[in-house]
Amino acid sequence: MATQTCPVRNTIIYLSDLTESGALTDPRERRICEQILNLVEEISEGAAGNGHLSAIDALMEEYLDGKGSKKTRVNGDRLKEMLSENREVFESHIATRNCPSHDCGKLAPSPCQMACPAGIDIPTYLTLIARGEDAKAIEVIRRDNPFPWVCGLICTRPCEMMCVRARIDTPVSIKFLKAFAAERAMSEGAYHNPEKKPFNGKKVCVIGAGPGGLTAAYYLALMGYKVRVIEALPVSGGMMMIGIPRYRLPREVIDREVAMIEDLGVEISYNTRFGTDITYEDLKAEGFEAFFIAIGAHKAMDLGIKGEKEFPKALEAIRFLKDVALGNHHAPGKQVVVIGGGNVAIDAARTSLRLGAGKVTIAYRRSEDQMPADIEEVEQAMEEGIEFSFLTIPKEILGSEGRITGLDCIKAELIQKEGSDRLVPVPVLGGDFILEADAVISAIGQYVDDKGMEAFDRMNWSRRGTIEVSHASMETAMPGVFAAGDAVSGPATVIEAIGGGKRAAEAIDRYFNHIPQPRMPKIPVRHHREPPVEMTAARKMTLKRPSMPMLNVDRRRTTFQQVELGYDEESVRKEAARCLRCDICRRCGKCIEICRDKMGIDALQLGYLEFDHSTETDFRTTEKKCITCGACAANCENKAIVLEEKEGRRNLKLCGTLLNSQAILYCENCRAVLPSAEYLEFIAQKTGDMVKRTQHRLLCDNCRRSLNAKINVETRPSDPK
Amino acid sequence: MQFQKGQKVKVARKSRDEAWEPYMDDFIGLHGFVTDPDTSINDPDALIEVSLEEKGTHRLPQDCLEQIV
Repeated sequence: MATQTCPVRNTIIYLSDLTESGALTDPRERRICEQILNLVEEISEGAAGNGHLSAIDALMEEYLDGKGSKKTRVNGDRLKEMLSENREVFESHIATRNCPSHDCGKLAPSPCQMACPAGIDIPTYLTLIARGEDAKAIEVIRRDNPFPWVCGLICTRPCEMMCVRARIDTPVSIKFLKAFAAERAMSEGAYHNPEKKPFNGKKVCVIGAGPGGLTAAYYLALMGYKVRVIEALPVSGGMMMIGIPRYRLPREVIDREVAMIEDLGVEISYNTRFGTDITYEDLKAEGFEAFFIAIGAHKAMDLGIKGEKEFPKALEAIRFLKDVALGNHHAPGKQVVVIGGGNVAIDAARTSLRLGAGKVTIAYRRSEDQMPADIEEVEQAMEEGIEFSFLTIPKEILGSEGRITGLDCIKAELIQKEGSDRLVPVPVLGGDFILEADAVISAIGQYVDDKGMEAFDRMNWSRRGTIEVSHASMETAMPGVFAAGDAVSGPATVIEAIGGGKRAAEAIDRYFNHIPQPRMPKIPVRHHREPPVEMTAARKMTLKRPSMPMLNVDRRRTTFQQVELGYDEESVRKEAARCLRCDICRRCGKCIEICRDKMGIDALQLGYLEFDHSTETDFRTTEKKCITCGACAANCENKAIVLEEKEGRRNLKLCGTLLNSQAILYCENCRAVLPSAEYLEFIAQKTGDMVKRTQHRLLCDNCRRSLNAKINVETRPSDPK
Repeated sequence: MQFQKGQKVKVARKSRDEAWEPYMDDFIGLHGFVTDPDTSINDPDALIEVSLEEKGTHRLPQDCLEQIV
């Protein structure tokens, strides 16, 4: 182990080697090492708090309590030595959240991994998909997210928003590549669960079988906990199942991934409402010592207009979507008006159309450009024939004898109020009009239904009606009670719920093992560096993101078949290879500085390195100016840019992309390997007369020196004396 | 200010909202993108999801954010 490497980083390497090599056969020793590794990783990331070193000390004491084998003692002594000899460095990392040698950033996550709320190692799995190793890719994804197939179809993809490739052309289609790999791995029978640890004697109750609850259940089961999930509905998946329509996410996809979680021994009690069918006391009596609340936000907000509660066909979108998901496939009406401008409104409208509604109109009180729904969803709804009535404020649902006849509305205009930069819809005088309708669906937001949560009496609720937690651990104010998902954030995304569930599982494990919780959400972990896919600069630049084939509009208007049909295999492999591997190149820009400012060559046109002011990038221009001097590679701390000699050529590569390739030249005198002709020319220009006499010949330094010396002696003017 | 998906933003100041946690002080000055605005009712009081450069994705109160043009 190199002495100049940061001791914190060294300790991580040592512990990672120990835990991953299979050398730790004693489960107790393995558990302690993994726990210490977790804590040291947090120290390395700047996420550690004051209790971390004392927790490591306590774990070390347990490790060396004399119960282990001789090998355990040897490992323990070595670890203790590393920790005690470098205690000041550990303390400084905690206090300053900084690694002076920068070693602790060597396995820093890429921007896409950082952006993913679940922290998936995206560059690694994209590389595996590019190589056709789909099952391995799924294994990598499931370290952080047990729902790769679901997320491959419906994730809001913050990763793509931060994708560095977007600074060159378009972001890598990360979301769908995941779906392809999951489907392929499942189809080939290669989608497996990791091996779980033996039962540790502890039981955890999860309330809610949505993405957050099932994610926590998955990771807890893998850690050896007995997990029981309490679910009020007859199906699992939560909002994935009852909130997202089947044309975006087929039920079978959810069922297959939930079944994988159940295969780990997770027990799901359906049709069981917490607080009614089973109580906190019942579960405590059964031995459950920790609780994870992931009840979602299923309660619809009221419109607050007349007629809202009078008609059976005045529906709440969330209830309507749930009924359809559970098998009620009757059209809500012939003329449906959906009130709202968010994704749920779009889902309710498109679902109504598929159930046979003749005309579906979305009434939204602001303008089109202010609609909060995803632009793609709005466009797809328009393609399918959904009509939009913008700047429309609903006043009253009209009808008689229990039947709706229309929605009384008033036209609005957007006015900027004093002291605010936000436009507010204000009714236009005399702008009343009626939208004909026999069904009205309201989709103006949801909130958390706190019914049944009274037992958690020491838990705090925010003014938004959500459960208050520390976001680093998802721990509530009540010891042993954790929460995540929409119940904490309000209506949010599936991937956030998954990230919260994973964090909560780790925090629950810490709670049981009396390990302090982190100060801030953990920085995603990279386990290793997958070699990048190699290709020419021209190919890297010319690969384009494929367009998504869509189901034809007639089919979309009449069935719940998946709208996005997915890429073919060739497109998937190419698209995955477009990844720039930002896990390797950390975009420090040192290579450009060296090449341009120190060498004066300026061969690297890598405008994408800048986050705020990115300029043009073209990998193809490097070969025109590059002299393969290797100064960029020699100064790249993370070895993202490398100069290698292979099969008679000297190649300059940036994360696998071949920037320049020149034939290796040999000394014509002794056959020693020479720099490129361009480099020799560069040196000749710098050194001027010194090498002038021999510059036309290909010679190594030694041969050139001796030949120059010989020439100098032979041509030395005779002594004038 | 109404935030929309894909907008570039800066964490300009500490929020007074109860959802602001001490570790979020580290985010002040950072740039990022709005990845999930309030997608139901455009509520200026809602927490919105923002992906910050090198600091991950977080749900933040809107009063701490400013749009970068």
